Amino acid sequence: MTTAALRMTLLALALGAACSRPPANPAPIRVATSPSGPNTRLTLHAAPHLKINARLAPALELGDGTLLRFRTGLRTADSAYYAEPPSTVLRGRHAQVHGILRASICRDDEQICRAVRVEI
Amino acid sequence: MARSTLLFLASIVGAGAGAIALETASRASAQSRVPLLNTPAGPASPAPAWRNASWLNTDHPLSLSELKGRVVLLNFWVFTCYNCTNTVPSLVDFDRKYRDRGLTLIGIHTPEFPPYAGEHDRGNVERALRKYGIEYPNAQDNDSKTWDLYGIRYWPSFVLIDKRGNIRYEGYGEFHLNDGSYQTWDGRIRELLAE
Repeated sequence: MTTAALRMTLLALALGAACSRPPANPAPIRVATSPSGPNTRLTLHAAPHLKINARLAPALELGDGTLLRFRTGLRTADSAYYAEPPSTVLRGRHAQVHGILRASICRDDEQICRAVRVEI
Repeated sequence: MARSTLLFLASIVGAGAGAIALETASRASAQSRVPLLNTPAGPASPAPAWRNASWLNTDHPLSLSELKGRVVLLNFWVFTCYNCTNTVPSLVDFDRKYRDRGLTLIGIHTPEFPPYAGEHDRGNVERALRKYGIEYPNAQDNDSKTWDLYGIRYWPSFVLIDKRGNIRYEGYGEFHLNDGSYQTWDGRIRELLAE
């Protein structure tokens, strides 16, 4: 094998190793948009087995400085978590929103709070 | 030439593999079921000195150096955390039982959200202390500096410091009066008080 061929082979091996990294974690929470009259309803969905802390209403900080809090939604009997996806309303119709989403979440099998910050 | 190229590329592959291993370990740690109690902190290490300026339930900011000779239990919490407030009755009980025997319990109140959520507000923290019957000192950790200093990741978390100022036990997760985790922490406190 020539030196050039050896280099190419090793480079391919190195790239292969780099590409074999496991995929990134899916976001623990996501926002879905739907029309609500002339406005847009934003609904927060948590990944399976995750609960959203209702004592600390999730917040969406939009790029223009607007702050939206997700306060509506049924709560668990102890009022600690949302029992259904919480939502909020954004003025106007928007197919997509962009900003920083914050929530306090807990896995079903854990007894701790975690703060998550997701760019959407 | 070929050998140096081989070594160079091998080092790249090795570095990549290390990064993957680290990321995988980190992910596994974050995703696996979180135990309610951690193992002992390992070899005793000196507790970092906190420098919080805003305190409640004490007439002056407490420092680690002035607490030498006492056992110190730090509780990292925030009043919006259900798991934290569920654990408070146990901490109030520890304070009642062991304060006179040499335990200083300190709440490190660390917000989860930016200030708009109200967790940074001293009045809100004061109301929470009254609501939950907390009489032990609490420091506001609004900039999370003490949280970062101790490498905390979850609410609630606990750090138990011995009379010489060394971290001896760390853990996290909600527990309740007289349950197994409570008994474990109670035993750890008594062990350090007896030293």
